[in-house]
Amino acid sequence: MGLKRDVSLAAGLRYRGPAGYLTFILHRIGGLGMGIFITMHILASFFGGRFGGTLNGIYEHWAFQVFIYFCVLFHAINGLRITILDLWPKLLDYQTEAIWIEWAVFIPLYLIAVYVIVRVGAGG
Amino acid sequence: MEITVKIFRYNPEKDQRGNYVTYKVEAHENDRVLDVLEYIKGKVDGTLSFRRSCAHGVCGSDAMRINGRNMLACKTLVRDTGANITVEPILGLPIKKDLISDMEPFFDNYKKMLPYFINEDPIPENGRERLQSQEERARFDETTKCILCACCTTSCPSYWANGEYYGPAAIVSAHRFIFDSRDQAADERLNILAETDGIARCHTAYNCTEACPREIKVTKAIGEVKMAMITGKLD
Ligand code: SF4
Ligand code: SF4
Ligand code: FES
Repeated sequence: MGLKRDVSLAAGLRYRGPAGYLTFILHRIGGLGMGIFITMHILASFFGGRFGGTLNGIYEHWAFQVFIYFCVLFHAINGLRITILDLWPKLLDYQTEAIWIEWAVFIPLYLIAVYVIVRVGAGG
Repeated sequence: MEITVKIFRYNPEKDQRGNYVTYKVEAHENDRVLDVLEYIKGKVDGTLSFRRSCAHGVCGSDAMRINGRNMLACKTLVRDTGANITVEPILGLPIKKDLISDMEPFFDNYKKMLPYFINEDPIPENGRERLQSQEERARFDETTKCILCACCTTSCPSYWANGEYYGPAAIVSAHRFIFDSRDQAADERLNILAETDGIARCHTAYNCTEACPREIKVTKAIGEVKMAMITGKLD
């Protein structure tokens, strides 16, 4: 008797992890977002017509672009950090600093892009 | 001061699922969460079950989630948790009763690492010891500190997602022997860790390092094992 091993998504997300845990979660969201984008892209090209047009309309919308740009940029920069730390394990002593650097690179790049996307997309 | 302690309760003889019970008790800010649990068990509700042995951060038996993060109850002060404390079992292992997890799957993974000294050479004739320089000893000092509490493994999102993953604690144990210059089974352990449920499941989330009550740099140890696997070098 006993409770089976069970880790719900909610329980996992409730865990109060360190700064690296947030980047871990955002990395998965980024990967998922890109997966959704690519799937929509393929479906739109494959079916074409009205259905394809609707899908096109969604992923070309500036709000979706803001989201997908977050996914791509975050996934890339975070992936780079992990790759560097994996290749030089000695640097893992500075993992917290590495995460700060990552945010320092990501935030300005992302904000500039959002500014441009919104200006162009929202016709400003 | 009065504190509020919300504890996960589960009685396998009565309950289908767990629930939370809240206790209001007096505590001193220098009390440890373990003292609070002992007080509740002794004076308020004798049915409360949890593991503990040494009460001094040595045996590793009282790992639990305290305010959402894995810690040893005997090393966590009320001063640091505040007056509202939530205590839950560690995540990712079956639960036997209240805060008592079934540790078998955890130790099964540990055993897979061949966590014992392997050296087939005869013992040196002139001395009773296999000698090692201070530098060689220092190489794996960090991972000798592990007390097998499971705080790291049960804080790991990869382990939550896949209970077959050996988990950080097992890799820390492997590291302790892989980098021991007197040991001869490093290759064997690296091969075990190269399996599907081995080291590749670590996605560098760092929860493990933060959770370790012995302050072992778990992710770094894992990183070193990964590198040893890729380069074949043990330096
Ligand atoms: S660094 Fe690896 S082992 Fe540690 S919590 Fe992250 S995925 Fe798990
Ligand atoms: S590495 Fe640290 S957290 Fe993991 S089992 Fe050992 S002592 Fe516990
Ligand atoms: S009771 Fe032994 S480590 Fe906490």
